[in-house]
Amino acid sequence: MIGQTVLDYNIDISPTPTEISEKLDFFGNTVTRFSIQQYHKELKVTTNSKIRRDYSLQPNIYDSIEGKSITLQQALMALKSYEEPILAVRQFALESILIAKITPEIKAYAEVSFKPNRPVFEAAFELMQRIYTDFEFNREFTNVATPIHDVMKEKKGVCQDFAQIAIACVRSAGLPARYVSGYIETLPPPGKVKLVGADASHAWFSVYIPKFGWVDFDPTNNQIPKNQHIVVSWGRDYYDVPPLKGVIYSTGKNKMKVAVDIRPAV
Amino acid sequence: MILDSNILFQNYFSDNRNYDEVLKSNMTINPNWETLLENINHIGLKELINKQNEVDWLMDENGVTYNVYNDPKGMRRPWNLNVVPFVIHENEWKTIEKGIIQRAELLNLILKDIYGKRDLIKKGVIPHDVVFAHRGFLRQCDQIDYKTSKNLLIYSADLSRGPDGRMWVVNDRTQAPSGMGYALENRYAINRAVPTIFKNIHVQHSSSFFYSFNQMLIDAAHNNKDNPNIVILTPGPLNETYFEHSYLSSFLGYPLVTGNDLVVRNGKVWMKTLKALKQVDVILRRVDDVYMDPLELREDSYLGVAGLLDVVRNQNVTIINPIGSGVLENSGLIPFMNAISRYFLNEDLILPQIASWWCGQEKERQYVLSNLSNFVVKRIDRSNRESLFFCEFLDANQLEKLKREIQSSPYRFVAQEKISFSTAPDFVNGRLEPRKVMCRTFAIARKDTYNVMPGGLVRVAPEREDLHVSNQRGGVSKDFWITTDKSQTSMHQYAWDNTCKISISDINDLPSNTAENLFWSGRYLGRAVVTARFIRMVLNQMSNAQFNVQKVESEKLQYLFQSLTSITYTYPGFVGEDNEEALKNPLKEILSVIIDDKRLGSFAQTLQSFNNSYYSLRNLWSKDMWRVFDGIQKIWSRFIDEKKYAISDLIKLLDRIITRLIAFMGLIEESILVDQGLLLYFIGLQTEQAMMNVAKCRSLLVFNLEDQLQYEILESLLTSHESLTIYRYSYKSYLSLENVLNLILLHKEYPKSLTYQLKRIQKDIDRLPHSKNAAAISECQRLIKEANTKMENLNINSLLELNDDNTLRERLDTELSELGDVLHDMSMAISNTYFNHTYQQTQLVNQNFPL
Repeated sequence: MIGQTVLDYNIDISPTPTEISEKLDFFGNTVTRFSIQQYHKELKVTTNSKIRRDYSLQPNIYDSIEGKSITLQQALMALKSYEEPILAVRQFALESILIAKITPEIKAYAEVSFKPNRPVFEAAFELMQRIYTDFEFNREFTNVATPIHDVMKEKKGVCQDFAQIAIACVRSAGLPARYVSGYIETLPPPGKVKLVGADASHAWFSVYIPKFGWVDFDPTNNQIPKNQHIVVSWGRDYYDVPPLKGVIYSTGKNKMKVAVDIRPAV
Repeated sequence: MILDSNILFQNYFSDNRNYDEVLKSNMTINPNWETLLENINHIGLKELINKQNEVDWLMDENGVTYNVYNDPKGMRRPWNLNVVPFVIHENEWKTIEKGIIQRAELLNLILKDIYGKRDLIKKGVIPHDVVFAHRGFLRQCDQIDYKTSKNLLIYSADLSRGPDGRMWVVNDRTQAPSGMGYALENRYAINRAVPTIFKNIHVQHSSSFFYSFNQMLIDAAHNNKDNPNIVILTPGPLNETYFEHSYLSSFLGYPLVTGNDLVVRNGKVWMKTLKALKQVDVILRRVDDVYMDPLELREDSYLGVAGLLDVVRNQNVTIINPIGSGVLENSGLIPFMNAISRYFLNEDLILPQIASWWCGQEKERQYVLSNLSNFVVKRIDRSNRESLFFCEFLDANQLEKLKREIQSSPYRFVAQEKISFSTAPDFVNGRLEPRKVMCRTFAIARKDTYNVMPGGLVRVAPEREDLHVSNQRGGVSKDFWITTDKSQTSMHQYAWDNTCKISISDINDLPSNTAENLFWSGRYLGRAVVTARFIRMVLNQMSNAQFNVQKVESEKLQYLFQSLTSITYTYPGFVGEDNEEALKNPLKEILSVIIDDKRLGSFAQTLQSFNNSYYSLRNLWSKDMWRVFDGIQKIWSRFIDEKKYAISDLIKLLDRIITRLIAFMGLIEESILVDQGLLLYFIGLQTEQAMMNVAKCRSLLVFNLEDQLQYEILESLLTSHESLTIYRYSYKSYLSLENVLNLILLHKEYPKSLTYQLKRIQKDIDRLPHSKNAAAISECQRLIKEANTKMENLNINSLLELNDDNTLRERLDTELSELGDVLHDMSMAISNTYFNHTYQQTQLVNQNFPL
């Protein structure tokens, strides 16, 4: 990916998996699959990556007059093409597993920003701002299985809910939008030392703007992602790219703990 | 032939408003049906009714059933077969056959393309969204290579005759089409019940089709063609077509497994067997795509195997049809099929389809929306009733709602012209009536082409004017004849009669799930017989004693009542502080122990458990076993319906059920091979009988009773044990506790003695597969040996010993209680060693999304 290069990567799993393999999924993300065939009480998966992140290498929408100014109407016309790269992004305009049956409420919410003669970029930027303002960040209210309609109704949730609401809105306007899963670096309050594990898994959305390409927006932080955002994978929604999933055979319950640590390489 | 004068055909033609198979538009009889109609005429009304009854009876007798989901009364619903077949002449069939082969080939090429290069989309032959918006397009299956000659190995087309007189394709079935087994059984039943109906008609056989079918399965095992391990994967006994799954398992001779019987290890799929894991080469599945792998597909599925898809990717197993083929069950493809045919084959479609408009295109959408009430609207990826809209019947509101739905995601909808399909004669209420029919046809991949089953399964609309034809409501079916002018060799015998075709080479390969069901069948059967006999004995004693419901007349009865509670483990019952109510009205309590299926330990519950474990084994059954099994069900439901609960009614019920249970025991022994797992059944049966034996002796013989009472109790025990005659023969004496203990506990030759039972269990356990490490004897072996050693060391005199206050025989009680514990541990050990103990399957992260 332009602007983000993996310099080094390793994965450490305990107990040691009996089988482990790596492949690319439908969306081009790297998936590591492993199986553990022995009894265990704890499963620990640690990945270490050394990343060179420099967002300034990415094409900048502000530098593209065409991208910046293409209106919704023009974009929809351009999206009728059956040529690449349009063909490859068409699927991101369709319903997906978690973002299906887009309701009139969502459509109405989107239409406030998306108007036929307004530039798509401007509309998407405003949508990001509105979600940031209208929605309350609340860890208690949702989990990975909360439907977007509930999030829309209560206007509460976490980053992944906000990303999915935004995607639903963009798609309701007929444009392709994808879900980006990654990490975000948090900066300590001035004068404080940064705590280990204080960073977080994060998610945001990306809109395909014809004549330009994908543009990322982070509605949780009301900004266009830069160097603090590390991209891990993307798909149609959370379902395509959960950080970790699997089947376990057990009798009891299980709990999961996640910690992310981002710091400058030495 | 003068049909009008025949009562069978009365009103047939006058009422007929549709295109009919028999009556052509110029009011002449279709010559292809003429001989059949003559035969029916010749059989005559009265005999035809008899024949229909005989067909119904055969279906019932052979246990041909169809389960209806979400309907408690829908379980094991008898399959309906109409006595009048459906006929197509070979001359017409040849074209249809070509059309089916062409369509199978096209769908095969589409499947390859959709999950491969996607040229169809890139070159604009089909719209992108028809594939990408279809829920059956599983991105997880993208770019998988298959080694089989075709990607689509089984194809099924539903055909109906359109207004132009040709057969049209109505539906494509590509995931796991059902019906082949029913088609086979239909032919078998008609052939057996109404042989005269075939007079002067040559009907093509499907035996060579099934031969190819089997060959196709073997060829699919590309890694192991010489000795392939092929299994049939079923969702389980609750599935609608479970009958067919077990039928095909017996017919083809491959083990029937559930997802739980399979496991993925080291990049391969294995079947859990008694001995070890055995690699699986081919899975003929009856589970839908998204349920096949809870790791990558539907997380809440318990019907598949976690990790299966990756084994497929690595080409270490063949799934028939491949996972992901559901994308072809796609009405959105219909408008483009001819273009696809031109693209791939440079020819037009042979079989016509219903005119369809995919709403993802603007022009088509406008056309559909402005003429909506003339159409039948479907979702491209759903064929169930809820997603099917017959717009002519919708009111303004419903139409408006549908319009909005179409506008919000137009690419998900297809509109189809409404078509009136042809009718064919169906024998209903003593006469022939025209009914709409649909023919399900089957094709399987063979080398570079497809083989088509001559005929198939014909389904009939349940009501005269009904538009839907579906099995879901338990519709009627017909035998489907392809007639030819050439004479055919005589009917082949179908395999239903050869019960034991399961080609499990030896007991080591027995799926452990089957083993477990056999073990529990044995245990529940044993428990059912012992319980029924004991209750019957108690009831007999009650009626002998001229039992008066107001008052417990004898101490003996009270004693027996209490032992009934402890043997069946239906506490508190007659035992405990609050037993007054029960003792006052013992018949009520006993009735509850018999019929209350919610009560733990009741006879009803035991019988229910037996039914369940046995029903999941039905691929191992013989016809006789089904008959007896069904007989028990019928006696039971009649009893429940009649609500006659006098002592004599209860005794009669138990008499009849016991006789059938015993018949069943005999049949199992002659119908199932030891290597098929009969051993497990025996171990289960003997273990249960031994445990019940211990329980009876403990509850009846431990207390020291005065002579008269003692005598009566001994007599009751022997009666319930069916051993009174043997006792008299062996001891020719007054009943004594010493002799009774000698007979039912210590006797070395008497099959109902505990000593004999334990010896037998040991012998059977020794025959089970054991680990290679010969030095270590298994836990099961150790425990049964311990029980036997204990038995050998028992001494009759010490068993008879009374404790100090002369109230009870503590030694007898201790010994029996210890034996009971060892038996219990042994049963647990068998379970741990041999049965499939998969823990509950859960998700690492709970994310149950509908796929």
